[in-house]
Amino acid sequence: MLYYQTVVIISMHETVSNTYILEMLDIDKRFQGVHALKSCSINLRQGEVLALVGENGAGKSTIMKILTGIYMADSGEIIYFGNKVHFKSPKDAQDAGISIVHQELNLMKHLTVAQNIFIGRESKGFFLDDRSIEIKTQELFDRMNIKSIDPRSKLADLTVGRQQIVEIAKAISFDAKVIVFDEPTSTLSDTETEVLFKLINELKQKGVSMIYISHRMDEIKQISDRVTVLRDGEFVGTRDTNDVQISEIIQMMIGRVTYEQPKESSSVPPDAPVVLKVEGLSSIDVEDISFELHKGEILGFAGLMGAGRTEVARLIFGADKKTAGDIFINGDKVDIRTPEDAVRNGLGYLSEDRKHFGCVLGMRVADNIVLASLSNYVNGLFLNEKKIARDSVEYKEKIDIRTPTVNQLLKNLSGGNQQKVIIAKWLIRNCDILIFDEPTRGIDVGAKSEIYKLMNALAKEGKSIIMISSELPELLRMSDRILVMCEGCHTGTIPIEQADQHAIMTLATHHLERGA
Amino acid sequence: MLDFIKRMQLQKLLALGALIILYLFFAYFGRNFVSVPTTLSILSRSYFVGFLAIGVTFVIITGGIDLSIGTVMMCSALIGGLLFTVFGFPLWLCLIIMILVGTAFGTANGLLVTKLGLPPFIATLGMMMVSMGLGSILTNVRAQNFPTLLGENAWFVRLFLRTEGNIPTGAFFLAGYLILTFIILKMTKLGRYTYAIGSNEEAVRLSGVNASRWKMITYMISGTSAGIASIFFAAAYTVMTPGTGQGFELDAIAAAVIGGTSLSGGVGSVTGTIIGVFIMSTLAVGLVSIGLRAPYQVFFTGVVVIGAVFLDIQRTRRANRVKK
Amino acid sequence: MKKTIAIIIVLVLSLGLLAACGDNNDRDGLYIAVLSKGFQHQFWQAVDAGAQAAGEHYGVEVFFDGPESEADIHVQVDMFNQQLALNPDGIALAALSTQAVLTQLQDAYDKGIPVVGFDSGVPEAPAGQIRATASTNNQNAAALGADHMFPVIRDKIEAATEADPVVIVVLSQDVTSESITGRTRGFAEKMHQLASGVNSSVAITGGYPAINTGDAGAAVRIEVVVGATSSSVDMATAASGALTLPGLIGFFCSNEGAANGVISAINAGSVVPAGVPIVGFDAGESQKAAVRSGIFMGGITQDPFQIGYQAVSLVVRAIRGETIGDVDTGAQWWDSTNMDNPDIALLLYD
Repeated sequence: MLYYQTVVIISMHETVSNTYILEMLDIDKRFQGVHALKSCSINLRQGEVLALVGENGAGKSTIMKILTGIYMADSGEIIYFGNKVHFKSPKDAQDAGISIVHQELNLMKHLTVAQNIFIGRESKGFFLDDRSIEIKTQELFDRMNIKSIDPRSKLADLTVGRQQIVEIAKAISFDAKVIVFDEPTSTLSDTETEVLFKLINELKQKGVSMIYISHRMDEIKQISDRVTVLRDGEFVGTRDTNDVQISEIIQMMIGRVTYEQPKESSSVPPDAPVVLKVEGLSSIDVEDISFELHKGEILGFAGLMGAGRTEVARLIFGADKKTAGDIFINGDKVDIRTPEDAVRNGLGYLSEDRKHFGCVLGMRVADNIVLASLSNYVNGLFLNEKKIARDSVEYKEKIDIRTPTVNQLLKNLSGGNQQKVIIAKWLIRNCDILIFDEPTRGIDVGAKSEIYKLMNALAKEGKSIIMISSELPELLRMSDRILVMCEGCHTGTIPIEQADQHAIMTLATHHLERGA
Repeated sequence: MLDFIKRMQLQKLLALGALIILYLFFAYFGRNFVSVPTTLSILSRSYFVGFLAIGVTFVIITGGIDLSIGTVMMCSALIGGLLFTVFGFPLWLCLIIMILVGTAFGTANGLLVTKLGLPPFIATLGMMMVSMGLGSILTNVRAQNFPTLLGENAWFVRLFLRTEGNIPTGAFFLAGYLILTFIILKMTKLGRYTYAIGSNEEAVRLSGVNASRWKMITYMISGTSAGIASIFFAAAYTVMTPGTGQGFELDAIAAAVIGGTSLSGGVGSVTGTIIGVFIMSTLAVGLVSIGLRAPYQVFFTGVVVIGAVFLDIQRTRRANRVKK
Repeated sequence: MKKTIAIIIVLVLSLGLLAACGDNNDRDGLYIAVLSKGFQHQFWQAVDAGAQAAGEHYGVEVFFDGPESEADIHVQVDMFNQQLALNPDGIALAALSTQAVLTQLQDAYDKGIPVVGFDSGVPEAPAGQIRATASTNNQNAAALGADHMFPVIRDKIEAATEADPVVIVVLSQDVTSESITGRTRGFAEKMHQLASGVNSSVAITGGYPAINTGDAGAAVRIEVVVGATSSSVDMATAASGALTLPGLIGFFCSNEGAANGVISAINAGSVVPAGVPIVGFDAGESQKAAVRSGIFMGGITQDPFQIGYQAVSLVVRAIRGETIGDVDTGAQWWDSTNMDNPDIALLLYD
């Protein structure tokens, strides 16, 4: 209902201006069954900064890749300076004056700054003329007021922030009329961000239009003229930045009707023993993470992509190296350096990427179930097939894995049942603390609710669960408490009684003061 | 001066230093080491590896690998020998065909890698077997002979290996090829894209460059170099045996690595590669001159390669650390 | 970084130094290079041992080397080049391909470095460039087999008449290769000579017409049987046929292929008539087993130790300016009584 209303409001808003230099109309794109963009439209005025926001998977990057010729739209059209255009390659888009600063640095570290900027645009003759591109680069830097970068230095010798500046300079060097910035500040320090914003303002003065993708609400307020929100591949609305509250933007981003009923209150008694305690956990990815996990509790981990949730899980599990912090299990300090140590201490980790890390698709269900505890299933040199069969059948029935027989190859099972097999794998290993990383990703609705049921049953049995999820409704339905992260930091923990999407998103987009 | 050293790349400088130290070492301890015959011996075994290694350096800089060059070289030589002795083609025509056979194999590798998207390791491993098999099939598993310095067509050896007066003519060709490929790598668009693809192929593609096409060309260069190498192999070794050739690609790759070419792509030079080739041949000839048998050459070459790869990894790690 | 580089350089150089110190690099005495067709094979190890023994005897430095496989012609060419560069006093060579080393032979000749062949030598080398060859004389070696077989069957030969003839079979893989024809001829003619001493009616018949003496009706026939092709199947067929010849009293196999043919035939059901001695040339794995179990009487093997020893002594004599000629490096008789003696076991390469 809510959703319907927003759409109506926006279509009124949209009729205001007809001075757009760029309009993307009814863009539709599917990837192997996933409907990434559903007749999505955006537009851009001359000399403005348009912020493009949305949750993970809302379609921001996809629509920008279509604009810059990396992907082709299935349907819809692009009107650019009044003409219908059709970009078949990045080069087409560049030639038309549209360039993009990618989220991941797309540079060649073994080449010099000048060589990077002018890659693909070398002189026509047989021999290269590095001198002339160095001069051109210097001129470009002079125009951009960049003093600290030598066009001749090797890119690998520059800091990441300066590499980002080079990438931006490259985008500008195409005489760009439209520049897309895809989360440009995620790798920048505050001072570097300031330099970037100054640059953006100067470009604006020169009439360059920019599309700015970011999760950071404060930045968007600071730099953009208008904000366009996408959700689930659809256009939600556009607002003038000056007239809109951050909370409204967040509301537009969340938008969807929640099918799952949120948990009303936690069933875990406040005096339940602490089974896992993490203190000051840090690594190159995350900073000073502390929390406690109680017996029988489901602790949700919320945050946007790249907030560091998986990284925390991997640190606890010993898969990555921590730089500081302590882990206590049942009150005892433990030294976990490898996943093997973690498993020995009763930890189980269900990876977000099932296919890569979680299971062996080409092996039988039974083999997958006993994979992590194989040493319990050997007689001397040989595997005890009888015991493997007996125990795997037991777990198949216990958690209701839908397969005619445990001798079925895992790849023949549905995603939800594969997930159950992985859960069985850790249960059979007697893990009391389970970390579920995106347990319902790629699973259909019916299977999802079965996984939920199973998790609740496990918690009731006294297992403790950390659940990482990018789907807020799911977290709200499952968790007893929700821990929120933003950019590697723990920004707050909300008891379920007080938790709603708005509170979580506010913490998840909270840009912490850095450099303290 | 410091800037110059930096530009030269540390590892290449090291390789050059190692070559000089090796030479001085064997000059002092070896039997009859500083002499015309020894020098010729070092040179004559360097020519064909030199061409192979220069060619494969292009592919390695793009981050790929070409495992087929050894057997492609042998296949070219066998086809050339077959046309010359059995079909009576004029020798000069056979030589041209030998180069073209190499180009054809290189093109096939390039197509497999860029059009079909096979990993270079697998594609060229397959081509290694294909070329070895083809050489055996075409020659009916019979060895093929080339002219020697003594009989008819002695100009072949005189031109590509050495004259009766011990002028190492092959060295002029190798030097010429070195200069040519050096210019291509450092001063032309092809060279720039070769390094760029090895650094970040996706970035090259997103910059609007047809990366596949340039990558394809590097495989063609590698194949063509193998074709050229077959001429110099034939001049030095006269008798071509079907079913052999495997192993030369590893010598060539080892030479490139010793010379500072990084197997992870983006870094390398043909001058470094040639230094690597001469380190290996000096080591081989030198160890014999101090009375050590063939297995010791293999052993010490292995030690040098491990050392070079270790340095490469150290350097890569260091580069990554700076980034964080 | 600098430290690791330093460590690597020091490591490489010190290894090299150690190696150099370990080797007696004596420039005063004579230096002879022996280039074989192989290295790791037991046969070549024995050749090496012989060459080193000769080196010790004459007080010269012997350097023995060979490629890993017989297909590695280019490796042998490199080795030849390297040795020529060391200005050796003499070279012994078993060439993988004469064609591939023609230039090097010419160079050695021009420099006045004497080259001798060993084992299979340097066939079809330009006249004068190979001073002599040390190799097994196949004819003499095979005759050794006749010498050992004759005492066992002497009584039967003596008793044979034209009405009740006896047959001695010589099974040969082919009659074209030089080594096998030499062995066929060597055994047949020696047996003919020995048998003629006790019986007046002796003849050589069968598949190698060059040595036939005609009379198929003789009391003692030495019958040469040749396989249809050299394939193991055809050799087994030929062997099983030969084993059923009436009056069979002795059986000689001219190489390992022929011996294996007999063994295959027996495995397939052929029966060796009681008291028939079987003698084979060479010493393959199954041949050794057959001798050990008593199916074969024994065998003849080349003497690789002598090949190496004689090769080096030929070179030394050539350096001294003596006139030299080809040397027969001899052969050894082996059977179940002596095959485990260390000096014989060394010769029974697989």
